[in-house]
Order: sequence, then C-alpha cells, then structure tokens
Amino acid sequence: MPEKNILEMKDITMQFPGVKALDGVNFSLREGEIHSLLGENGAGKSTLIKCLTGVNHMDSGKIFLDGKEIAPANPGEAIECGISTVFQEVNLCPNLSVAENIFVGRQPMKHGQIDWREINKRASELMSRFHLDIDVTRPLSYYSTAIQQMTSIARAVDIKAKILILDEPTSSLDENEVQLLFNVMRELKAGGMGIIFITHFLDQIYAVSDRMTILRNGHLIGTYNIDELTKFELVTKMVGKDMDVIFNLKRADVAPDSNIMLNAEHIGDGRINDISVTLKKGELIGFAGLLGSGRTETAEMLFGASKIATGEIFLDGEKINLNRPFDAIKVRIAFCPEDRKRDGIIGDLSIRENIMLAVQSRKGFMKPMTRQEQTDLANKYIKLLGIATPDCEKKAGELSGGNQQKVILARWMAAQPKVLILDEPTRGIDIGAKAEIQRLMLEMCGEGVSVIFISSELDEIIRCSNRIVIMRDRAKVAEVDGSSCTQQDILKIIAEGAA
Amino acid sequence: MKNKQTLFNKLTNPKYIMVYATIGIFLIIYAFGAFVYGDKGFTTVRTFVNLFIDNAYFGISAVGMTMVLITGGIDLSVGAVASLTGMFIAYGTSVLGLHPLTCIFAALVMGVSLGLLMGWVIHYLNVPAFITTLTGMFFARGVCSLISRESIDIHHPFFDALASWKIYLMRYADGHWVRIKPIAFINFNVLLFLVMIAIGTFILQKTRFGRNIYAIGGNEQSASLMGLPVGRTKVLVYGFNGLCSVLAGISYALYVKSGWNLSLQGGELEVITCAVIGGTLLTGGVGYMIGTLFGVLLKSIIPALITFNGNLLSWWGKIATGLLLLLFICIQRFVVTTSGKRK
Repeated sequence: MPEKNILEMKDITMQFPGVKALDGVNFSLREGEIHSLLGENGAGKSTLIKCLTGVNHMDSGKIFLDGKEIAPANPGEAIECGISTVFQEVNLCPNLSVAENIFVGRQPMKHGQIDWREINKRASELMSRFHLDIDVTRPLSYYSTAIQQMTSIARAVDIKAKILILDEPTSSLDENEVQLLFNVMRELKAGGMGIIFITHFLDQIYAVSDRMTILRNGHLIGTYNIDELTKFELVTKMVGKDMDVIFNLKRADVAPDSNIMLNAEHIGDGRINDISVTLKKGELIGFAGLLGSGRTETAEMLFGASKIATGEIFLDGEKINLNRPFDAIKVRIAFCPEDRKRDGIIGDLSIRENIMLAVQSRKGFMKPMTRQEQTDLANKYIKLLGIATPDCEKKAGELSGGNQQKVILARWMAAQPKVLILDEPTRGIDIGAKAEIQRLMLEMCGEGVSVIFISSELDEIIRCSNRIVIMRDRAKVAEVDGSSCTQQDILKIIAEGAA
Repeated sequence: MKNKQTLFNKLTNPKYIMVYATIGIFLIIYAFGAFVYGDKGFTTVRTFVNLFIDNAYFGISAVGMTMVLITGGIDLSVGAVASLTGMFIAYGTSVLGLHPLTCIFAALVMGVSLGLLMGWVIHYLNVPAFITTLTGMFFARGVCSLISRESIDIHHPFFDALASWKIYLMRYADGHWVRIKPIAFINFNVLLFLVMIAIGTFILQKTRFGRNIYAIGGNEQSASLMGLPVGRTKVLVYGFNGLCSVLAGISYALYVKSGWNLSLQGGELEVITCAVIGGTLLTGGVGYMIGTLFGVLLKSIIPALITFNGNLLSWWGKIATGLLLLLFICIQRFVVTTSGKRK
C-alpha cells in the first residue's frame, strides 16, 4: 500500500486556562490505516480530536487534509471536509428515529420534501450491514446503548468520510458487537478510509491497529508501528513511570483482633435478599460479580439509599437504622456511586464546593463553614490527592474523569468516614489514575477506615482486597481470601456458583 | 424486533402516544357532550365549527409555540405581541388613517424582528428563553400602552369586509346546494388557522429545518456535534413564532374588531396550554401539529360544554383546563420514564 498521508496535523498547541492541553503535537494519518491514539485521561487525545473536528479551536498549528490546509470552525464544517466522528458518549438525538439519526442534516430530498421512504430504506440497509435487523422508524431511545452506538457509527460511515474518528466506541459493546465493529473498520480501511481509533482497551488496539500515537500531558511521545512496542512498553510510555512501581501496592494490614466495624446480618430490600457481610476496622473488602449481580444494590442498602426490609445492620456494635442516605452520613458511612456524572459530581459547582458538601451536610446547614475553612479544606485535598487543577474554584465538570473521581474521594475523605463504599471508582479512567485511586483507598484503610470496593475488574479487586465477596444472580455466593485466590478461582465461582 | 414496516407497526410507534392521548380524550369529552347535550344541539356541525371560530387566534399562535417548545424553548411574548399587532391596526386605521394592510405590514416587521432578536439573544448570548421572552413581553406590552391606553375600535371597509367574509357550509339536496341547518360557516380566521397548521406540519415533517428543530430539542449538544445549524435554526424558530404571534394578533383583531393595550393578557399561557395538551413535551423534542390542532379543540370544548350546561359558572372552565393540563403532564412523565427504560 502506498504510504500516502491523508491527514497531517502540525505543531498543534492548545491552551486552556491554567493548563496547556496540547503542546506542539504532530500527528499524521495514512490512507487506509487504523491509527490508535493513546494516552491517559487528560493526555490530550480528546482535545486533539476536538481541534480536528472544529469543536475546539487550537491556538496555533496547522491541519492539512489531502495536502490542503483546513481550519474547521464547527463540527458541520469538519463533516463537510470529510471528517466524521463517533464520540465517546452517544451523541445522537434520543427522540428521533434510528433512521433519522443517521440522516438528519443531509436527508435525501424529493420534490422539495424529505424523502422518508428513501431514508428508512437506506437506514435499514446500513443497519443490516451491522447484522442488526431492527425497525429503524422507532425512536432511538427505544433501543439499547449498543444499538445506539451502532447507529452513530452507521451515521459516520454513511457520510462517506475520508477520515473516521472513533472515540471509545467499544465501551458499551459486548464481545460480539466489538468483533462486528472491527470487521466494519477493516472493510472501511480496505476502501481507503483513514481511521483514528481511541480506546482504553489495550487488547483492542493490538487487534485492529496498524500504527499508534502516544500522548502524555499534552506532549507527543511518539508514533510507532503496532509490532514495535509490547503492551508493557506501551503502558510504560503512556504512564511515564515504571509500571512495577505503580502496581507495587500492598494490601491493608488488618490486625486479627481488630474490632468489627460494620456488620450486616441477613439484610434484604425485596430486590435482593439475605446478604450478610462483616467488615473489620481498616479492612478492605472487594465485591466481585457481573453487572447486575447485586453489588450496587447491596451497597445502596448499606448506605440507606434503599431501605432494608429484613435483617439488621450494626455499626461499631450498635444497631443502626438507615432510612435515607442522610442517616448513613450522620453515622459516617460514605458512598461514592457508580455513575459519577449522574450521582456524584455536581459539575456546575467548583471543586471547593464539591469537596465540602459531605462535611457541611454532616455539620448541618445551620453551621456554615467560613470561606477560608472551605478553601483550606479543598486545597489540602487537592494537594493530597494530586488533583490536576489550577485552583479550587474550577468547575468540577471541567475536570477529566480521573480527577473528578478524586474530587469525590476527597469529599468523603474530608468527612472522615468510618466506612467508605466505592462503587466502580476506577471505571473509565486511565491506568495511572486507577493506580492512584487504589493507592488512596489503601492509605485510607491504613488510617483505620473500612472500605468496600466494588469493581468489575478482577485484577484490581484481587490486588487490593483483604477479602472478596462474590455475588451472583442477586445473592452472595462465596467469600474468599484476597491474598490467596486467583482470577480463575473467582471467575469459576461467578460462572458456576459456589463450589 | 422485526424489520417489517407494516401499517400496524407504523401506527404503534411509541412516538405517537401523546397524540393518541389528545385525540382520545377529545373524543371522549365530545362523546360525553353528545350524550348529555345532544338534544340541545351539541352534535351539530355549527357547534363543532364554532370551536374553531372562537379559538382560531390561540391556534394560530400555538403553531409557532409548538415549534418553540419542540426546540426545548419557550416564548412568553406571544400574547403581548398579538396585542400590539391589534393596537397597530386599530391606531393605524382609526387614528392615523392608514390602510389596514400597511399596519399589518408594520406589525409583521415588528413581530418577526422581535422574534429573531430574542432567538439571537437566547442562542448567542446564552440567556434562558424564559427570561429573554419575558423581556420581550414587557417590551411589547409597554409599547402597546405607549400607543394608547384605551380600547380603540377598528372601522375600515377593507377590515370589515375581511372580518365578515365567510364560506357557508353547504349540503347537496334535491339537485342543488343548500346551506346546512343550523347555519354554519368558516371565516377568514378559521381558514388561516387551518392553513398555518398545514404549513407547520409541512415544515416540521418535510423540511430539514423542521427536523433540525426536533434534533435540537432531543439533544442540543448532539445536534451541534452532528453538524446541524443549531444557532440558525433556533433564531429562525423564534422569528417564525413572531410571525405566528402577529397573525394571531390580526386574527384576534378581526374577532373583536378593536385594539386594546390590555387584551390577551395571559394569552401566552393559554397558547402554551394548547400545545402541551396537544402532546408537545415542555422538555422539547416531541410534538406534532395535528396534536396541537386537537389541543386547541380540547381546550375550547370545555367552555362550550359549560355554555351548554347553562348552570355552571364559566370559571369551572379554568379549573377543568387546569385539571386537563395536569393530566397531560402526568401522562408525559409516564411516557418519558417508560420509554427511556425500554431496551
């Protein structure tokens, strides 16, 4: 294949208030290649893509498409240039039909009117290319996230772009759907399209990419052929530190005689029944299990978000009644929910305000903290957790995913909880930030906080937990020791039930 | 999940639920009226046509309002703009001695420019629609009061002719056409209302502009990332709504044959009510012109029922309208929560 560059981005620099998001980055894309763009959260991948698609405007640098300089002012212009993007979160209109989502803005017209018949016909054909035999006239919200994701890919593909950008398209797809997507990508590549592929899954990079470009803190680390780097070298380059140091985490030390902090006996709320868990002071237990196995529901009962109908909960030996989250906060049980955008972070409030929420809530709103106290508190945790921000007044919604997660952690650390429940705290954040969060969890255990850690990633559960509770089909099926079990053991229990 | 697009499949598409609810409830109330007051003439064509005649001006305004609501916006200025239009015509013809068409032209320029300006402020200065259009409302009402604080009658041959122009509904009997009994007719207002509904339907369903309106209401950020002209569409929608407000004002002036600075106070809320009980979602993204048409009928059938009863105070109409609105908002909540969870 002739190695002709269809896209060249030269010396791209982009400054956000206080942060240099991109610093002289070069990037090139060849005709008919799949090029992975890698880096941790906040490394500048999304910003680079946003410069290319006209969402953001770069401060300096040049973009050449097919040798001609372009400067898209908005996403519409980028699309006209032949750059089409599938964004990380589904960016379609839930109220429009599947077919219309594919064609809106460029509907085929007939006699001055939209040709609905043609739209529905062509949409059906496109979706059947993805082996999806669905009624394309139904609203998008009627279908699952996977189908919605496929719809946005179908839209991007149908635009007949020269360049297709896929920003984390696989996070909501299952294994078969991923393979399906990869087949489509290979087909498009054979047709000469250049594809920029962004993902956190290393295996997927090696499965489809031809080359990869690594960014770190807004700087270009390098562009490599896929066979030039091993996974280990790749991760090291992405993180910029030696992996061994990061993963050299030590489990919490729990003295055998340390007292029991939380004891839930046979609790149930109708959705889930008869769960018993004990948690010692300074201990970390992991909740393992598939999505929907009842991990989150159990956590919600322990936090009072879902009222228990049966069973009893004891904290430090005393029976407690949890009717609502406020009751749990009062006795110093903290909960970081799974969906941080929806349930955790309040994006429009500053970092300071987000951090002080739980403290203030416990103190009661009649005793407000002074501004100085708030700022001191926020700055202390920004420093302690290494939150990347110019100051504590930045809106929390403008932070990267990993940093948002740290803000939530800070909120609960500041409240000095006895029990901290973390539901998927590391989801969707990069390896470096993950390790950081894990380190912080373990440090809190060292200070005597008892932690419940829910995660879908078994390796991190095994790495951190003293004990692991395994859930399956809305019931607790086993409890294993964290130091002596392997992923295989746990998978077997999840798959087959308790031995 | 079959890919067959049968008629049944098309009709059971969940996006039509709200429209069905509106039409269904209208039919139920109409059937109730027919059952109870059938002997008093509730079922006559005349009663039905009067529903249109007495509420055409709300309906005309509701066409533009439906579009605004679909984008996820709101426009509180429509009542004041319509009132100002009436004042333009009244003051222009009766005091300045201008031709009504000149006044109408001036009103159109005023209404459309105000709409475009408000749309521009809402989108480009990122001011909430509620505040922006509230300002527009005070502005229009203020100008109206500046012109005159008294009701001015409109007397002009052209205007009178337009107001009294009508088409009698006929039936074919004994070899020639005769007027139906009791006499029923369609006037200019009704015609304008129906034409606007037709234009609105065409814009919403058959043009890219119309589909962009839905896309913006579904998710404005997505719409922009899909490369749709969000700003232009929003500005034009408010401009079009300004046009509809002026037409509603003309229609109201034809109906009452006068202009008054305090007319149509709260009219914007009546118009929003028509759109909402017609199945338009206040959160944006959903709504149909045919729904709005039935929304107007539904809102106007209640006073009609009260008139036929003869014993109830007319305020019961307000209460019934309130209950109806509540009912529809509950249905909307239900539809939104259930359809969001379906896989």
